Amino acid sequence: MKIRLREPTIAFLFLLPAFIGVIVFYYYQIVQTGIYSLHNLQHTADWQTQPFVWFKNYATVFRSTYFWQSLRFTVYFTFMATVLELAVGLGMAMATFWVSRWLGGILRAIIIMPWVIPPIINAMIWRWLFHADVGLFGYILVSLGLVDKPPLFLTEPMLAVHSVIFADVWKNSSIMAIFLLGGLAAIPADIYDAAKVDGARSWFRFRKVTLPMLLPTILVALLFRGIDALRTFDLIYGLTGGGPGTVTETLSSFAYKYYFTYGKFGLGSAYAIVVFAIIVGLAAVYLSRIRRNMRFKE
Amino acid sequence: MSAKLSHRYRTQYTYLMQTVVTILIAVFCLTPMFYILSTSLKPRGAEYMIPLELWPSKPTLQAYRAVLGIVEEAELASESKGSMVLPADQARIVKSLSFVTPLRNSLIVSSAVAAFSLLISSLSAYAIARLRFRYKIQSLIFLQLGAMIPIAVTIAPTFMLMRSLGLLRTLLAMIIPNIFYNVPMSTWLIACYFAELPFDLEDAAKVDGYKPIQIFWKVIIPLAAPGLFSAGVFAFLGSWGEFMLASAVSMGIPAVQTVPAAMLNFSVQFRYEWTWISAAIILSVALVAFMTLVFQRWVIRGLTAGAVKY
Repeated sequence: MKIRLREPTIAFLFLLPAFIGVIVFYYYQIVQTGIYSLHNLQHTADWQTQPFVWFKNYATVFRSTYFWQSLRFTVYFTFMATVLELAVGLGMAMATFWVSRWLGGILRAIIIMPWVIPPIINAMIWRWLFHADVGLFGYILVSLGLVDKPPLFLTEPMLAVHSVIFADVWKNSSIMAIFLLGGLAAIPADIYDAAKVDGARSWFRFRKVTLPMLLPTILVALLFRGIDALRTFDLIYGLTGGGPGTVTETLSSFAYKYYFTYGKFGLGSAYAIVVFAIIVGLAAVYLSRIRRNMRFKE
Repeated sequence: MSAKLSHRYRTQYTYLMQTVVTILIAVFCLTPMFYILSTSLKPRGAEYMIPLELWPSKPTLQAYRAVLGIVEEAELASESKGSMVLPADQARIVKSLSFVTPLRNSLIVSSAVAAFSLLISSLSAYAIARLRFRYKIQSLIFLQLGAMIPIAVTIAPTFMLMRSLGLLRTLLAMIIPNIFYNVPMSTWLIACYFAELPFDLEDAAKVDGYKPIQIFWKVIIPLAAPGLFSAGVFAFLGSWGEFMLASAVSMGIPAVQTVPAAMLNFSVQFRYEWTWISAAIILSVALVAFMTLVFQRWVIRGLTAGAVKY
């Protein structure tokens, strides 16, 4: 007997493995984390056997000064890192676009390098460069005569906050630049030529032609990086461990600490759900922006 | 005359400026890695000497030998005179933390993740890009929205799931979730490639009596090789750097740690041995940096697929 499948059925079957996996490892997990956050759950205990505590975990979270501090830091970090990355990335993208073809090729290869480095290894690199006694960064500052002795990059609270941001900017400006290069390449060349013929100076061209044309890409890049920066974990864990004290602790790193250091899965889950709630809003905007790029033949 | 001269002056000036800008960006992007490379080539202890050497006067591969566990006891003994740790003990510690195991583990995990996420995503991408059904965009959004969820949110239940499957402390506990962490992105990347192929292909193949699975396997897949490739490289890089899950499910057991988890362990154990840590960093980055350079065009395409439509 021969079974003839209709095309939508075949499509469904083809999509099935991906859907099952994403449901199991993303959507179902959210529900689980939600359930955990309502229980007084210790480490590896089964949640069904643990007391249901309604929103007590959330109450604990919202009452704790640590939470507000880490929320503040997470938001500050996200804002500063994203804005600086946009500035540096835009600079690098414009430069790559401007220089000769040959240099541009080299620049592209160079710019992508920081992006390749895994975040946890990025943290290690900066731990060495920010070393209190023999760090290259402090050494350069001392050699230039800017400071008398190397600053305590990772142990002085205000400095630590900005050192973490700097390390993130170093790594992630490259992805910003790569995004924007794509956007620049997509601007039709005749628009530039028209502006040139009209005698527009380069700064004016940048402000009135390039920037407006680039705006959609910039917006998507900002959202993409913002979502990523809000869930920063590896960099913090490897570079400062959240310290000094809890100054550089992000919501994600707090959640992780509650899970695997203190073994409080319930409380950690409450933190995680807060992270999720913040990100969901941004993600919705992001997806609605990139939806325009999803065009497939019906 | 003067106009011509000033034009020539201007091109030379422009060329100079372009070179300067290129060098500035190169310094910004490469200095940290360069300094790590330089540290990794210093003899043990020399990394703390002031004034700092930007490049070691006597480069040595000592640190790499130590990190790869091919250090000899005699060598350590001569080095660590007066140290509290016995040479034999130190050799044992070094052997136990040999970076060969994490590198091997990471290779296994990343290759498996790349292969399986390619398989699964190319199926779903085919459905979205080439088959007739109603909820294409919705399917894509459903996958993408999932991928927006941070690992910090899913890690606890995933950990519990792996525990109940008895997979903790195995590489499978990293491989399986990582496959699906990469499926949404890969699906999109591959779907974009599939969509660019001419639609007469299917009609021609149908006339020849191909079944849908045959069209997929024998016609579309070979033609979309570059797209598949880009997605594969992407998944490989993604799982190479994944840290949170890897460190949670490997539970501090060196035998099953991937590079990122082992790296942290290593840097805690040998907190002051920065030549060793640097060598480990170089070893963990070398392969992916090389891959990215070789496949640069595909990687960049993959990165920008979401933000920019080509």
